[in-house]
Amino acid sequence: DMANISKKVSWSGRGDDRGERTPLLNGAEDGKYNRHVLCFPQITQDIVRSRPKEIPHNEKLLSLKYESLDYDNSENQLFLEEERRMSHMGFRCLETRRWVICGLIGFLTGLIACLIDIAVEKLAGYKYSAVKQNIEKFTEFGGLSISLILWAVLNSAFVMVGAIAVAFFEPFAAGSGIPQIKCYLNGVKIPRVVRLKTLAIKVFGVICSVAGGLAVGKEGPMIHSGAVVAAGVSQGRSTSLKKDFKIFEYFRRDTEKRDFVSAGAAAGVSAAFGAPVGGVLFSLEEGASFWNQMLTWRIFFASMISTFTLNFFLSIYHGKPGELSSPGLINFGRFDSDSVQYNLYEIPLFIIMGALGGVLGALFNVINYWLTIFRIRYIHRPCLQVMEAMLVAAVTATVSFAMIYFSNDCQPLGQDNTEEYSLQLFCADGEYNSMATAFFNTPERSVRSLFHNPPGSYNPLTLGVFTLAYFVLAVWTYGLTVSAGVFIPSLLIGAAWGRLFGILLSTITSSQSIWADPGKYALIGAAAQLGGIVRMTLSLTVILVEATGSVTYGFPIMLVLMTAKIVGDYFIEGLYDVHIKLQSVPFLHWEAPPTSHWLTAREVMSSPVTCFNRVEKVGRIVDVLSNTSTNHNGFPVVAHTTENDEPGKICGLILRSQLIVLLKHKVFVERASSRLSHRKLQLKDFRDAYPRFPPIQSIHVSQDERECMMDLTEFMNPTPYTVPQETSLPRVFKLFRALGLRHLVVVDNENRVVGLVTRKDLARYHLGKDGLEELHLAQT
Amino acid sequence: MELLTRFTFVSACLFAEWAVTFIAVANCSISPSEMNGDSALKLPSAVIPVSQKSTLGSFYSLSLSSTFPEDLEVNEYCTELLRIYGQRYVTFANCLVTYARPVRVCQNCYTGFNSLEDIYKNISFDKSAPGNVSCHDSLMRSDRLMLLYTLFIKLDEIWTSAECKQCLNEDQDALSNDTLYFMATLNQSLSCFEQYQRNHTELCKDCKTSYKRLNEVYGRMEKNQMLCIDLEDAMNMTQHLWSKNFRCLLPREETVPVIAVSSFMLFLPIIFYLSSFLHSEQKKRKLIHPKRVKSSSSLMNIQDKFS
Repeated sequence: DMANISKKVSWSGRGDDRGERTPLLNGAEDGKYNRHVLCFPQITQDIVRSRPKEIPHNEKLLSLKYESLDYDNSENQLFLEEERRMSHMGFRCLETRRWVICGLIGFLTGLIACLIDIAVEKLAGYKYSAVKQNIEKFTEFGGLSISLILWAVLNSAFVMVGAIAVAFFEPFAAGSGIPQIKCYLNGVKIPRVVRLKTLAIKVFGVICSVAGGLAVGKEGPMIHSGAVVAAGVSQGRSTSLKKDFKIFEYFRRDTEKRDFVSAGAAAGVSAAFGAPVGGVLFSLEEGASFWNQMLTWRIFFASMISTFTLNFFLSIYHGKPGELSSPGLINFGRFDSDSVQYNLYEIPLFIIMGALGGVLGALFNVINYWLTIFRIRYIHRPCLQVMEAMLVAAVTATVSFAMIYFSNDCQPLGQDNTEEYSLQLFCADGEYNSMATAFFNTPERSVRSLFHNPPGSYNPLTLGVFTLAYFVLAVWTYGLTVSAGVFIPSLLIGAAWGRLFGILLSTITSSQSIWADPGKYALIGAAAQLGGIVRMTLSLTVILVEATGSVTYGFPIMLVLMTAKIVGDYFIEGLYDVHIKLQSVPFLHWEAPPTSHWLTAREVMSSPVTCFNRVEKVGRIVDVLSNTSTNHNGFPVVAHTTENDEPGKICGLILRSQLIVLLKHKVFVERASSRLSHRKLQLKDFRDAYPRFPPIQSIHVSQDERECMMDLTEFMNPTPYTVPQETSLPRVFKLFRALGLRHLVVVDNENRVVGLVTRKDLARYHLGKDGLEELHLAQT
Repeated sequence: MELLTRFTFVSACLFAEWAVTFIAVANCSISPSEMNGDSALKLPSAVIPVSQKSTLGSFYSLSLSSTFPEDLEVNEYCTELLRIYGQRYVTFANCLVTYARPVRVCQNCYTGFNSLEDIYKNISFDKSAPGNVSCHDSLMRSDRLMLLYTLFIKLDEIWTSAECKQCLNEDQDALSNDTLYFMATLNQSLSCFEQYQRNHTELCKDCKTSYKRLNEVYGRMEKNQMLCIDLEDAMNMTQHLWSKNFRCLLPREETVPVIAVSSFMLFLPIIFYLSSFLHSEQKKRKLIHPKRVKSSSSLMNIQDKFS
């Protein structure tokens, strides 16, 4: 079976054309490029090759459009100069500014959460009261099918507005945004994901989709919103609005921005669930390779401010200013009455529920995976996406209506009438339709009813049918081109079957035992289902503990999430990982795949490498940068050598973005004398262009200037990380992951550049069903 | 008001008797000597632990209070207040129990509550007490039981949760006009029900207008927060009569159109997905071939390692 493995890894699937390609390539190399350049033969590679192979989209691809963030600091001379110039006070100021920014992030995130909450409540309120009035009228006089149509049309209208905004204006605002933020924190630069425009569309979209009655929640998008707020605030400007506030200029680089984004994500979680500690842990769990104690403390500060802000403004909105007891968008309510205590003998039951949650979660993910593949392949036109979303909204309304219409489960109105939009329909006066409490409500209200309504509020049939219907709707809904999260639907499905489990348990035991309180089992079921779908561990436990407000449930929730993850992972990955894979993102997991120690840097790296000389001709730089077929971002700088074939010795690394700024400012050796009269180029000039460096095409270089030379010594990173060729893949991986590298130069024993390892080279290895597999690079 | 008596589902008398006895026992443990002959307060002798007292008596005197110096004693004025409190308490509690089922406490007991509240306030805020010790301190806060306080608070809680104040006028001394109007409306419905007692289908048709008006009045009062337990209970019973006893339910007769519209809606996505599968061109991805060290050597490498 060793041979089998080697076959899989043998630059797989291309065995057929290798034979004809290699000689051609070599020929081109020899003939054309050897004269000027040391390691620059590969341009022709793509020209020479016959038509590229096309395959349908699948999950075993890596997209070229994703790049890495530059987390590693470039310690070039400019940087050293700036550091020398900065006083002790200057560093203190920077630290203070970081705190101010974190406070602002928390505050704005809390405000956004507040805005979403109020808007959803208002809009959903109008919708439900309109439909309710209509239903009441037609129950008496006939014509309920008109109410059904009204409900479906209202739903579709809301969703249409939201879907149009997302599909036509900012497709990156679709979904919950958690996969994208996970990728960002992992070190992948996802284009347009942290822009102000994305935030606006996201907030608008989520209001529309929740008010439109889809099986979605508004909590997931809060994490994305928090991240965008962080990315915006920390830069002190918005490129979407073309406004520069001239503040926080020091933080305009990937290293700083990413730290703030992790604070923003934490603030988002904190606002969504009222779980500040959970938020911090979420950030750490997703981006944990780059944290330190001070950063964590700042993230916690942002989280706390965010939940406090939300609390404060909601208390004003609810007319009780200063009463800070409604943390989070979703409020699970308190579980502290005696009937919701648990006992040792219930632990096995909880574990069984966890396993069930894992299985159901895996089922959810598998179905959603196939659906998403279908959507990527066939439903990629924006108008089709809008239509699909509208159809889902209409069907959701239809299913809900039919369920309510045919339900015979009538329950007396509760004492404190928690159901705001209770429907009577054909029930006796003074009673309400129990199915309507689950369907004729925003999902999070339904979750709360399932947790807290007293025993006997639902009959088992209602819950069973509801679970089934809502499962199908939620699977179908996630992945639509609307911005919406999956947390609440998961919780709702879980709460429904958990409650059913509790009810059945109490009928089996038949004695009037207090331990089968259905609300408690609803909570455990919700945790199991959510854990089975998203497979988060530490942070999710803490989030749920914080959201329920009782540490007592920490242990069972942890057990349940553990079981759900173990069972679910046996079948398929978590939903977010599935979607990351389907987006072809080069995502680096915690560890290199096991059984990969025999792979060395030599096999992993890309080679040959495009290098520049320390003093390089402008024309060549422009040519290399304009080459669309390669589109490299990092270039090793080598000492000039005379021999032609041999690669040069490494003396630094320079980035595309730096070169573009240099070209823009025309930092040429020949102009050095005239440049002296001007000011010297500073690190600030590089930051000003960040993060959207102009494309090379927009920079005009005249024919004369092409003959000039450019000295890169001052600007390159003089000490890039390098590894010898024999380094094993896990070793390279660890270095890359832990330091957040973007380029890792592979050198031979004389320090000559032989290859370059980037994120895509590492991310392509993964453990498939039969051993190590390799992903394809693809243009998407 | 009288009409409500028809709905005596529970015979309240038995319960009332028991509860009054209980309260009497509570009272007499404060100071039996203060109780003057209320006919309801017949103390069952078995309740008082006489035997225990007599055994203790061999060590201490029978009456504990007589041993304390005068300044610690409850003065006469306060004792009088205590007596009145007791009386009013009993009257009110008696009233509550008498009108427990069907609930008519708000209509019948508000005077009792008002007078109890008066005396309680008198005790709590008395300024005119002779001597240095206020009755508030001597009666209410002298021991950990704080019986007067606890007893009143319990009843006050009951009164608050019954929301009786919402049915009374501003001065709390009479039923509000809305309440009276509601009762009149209720009256009409009930007399209509009585009229058609035999034929339920007739009843459902003919009493619908009055029943509907009753619902409207009730709904309006609910919105304005003018309901108390009496009205809620009366309404509840009427609704129960209407829906459960007379079975005046709305018929479910639109099943066919609802199914038709639903299945049409469910059919739409199938068409959508089929048509987009058939007509939309499949998205293809162009594979890019990465630059690697010459593949022959690397392949050899791998094979070397495994051979």
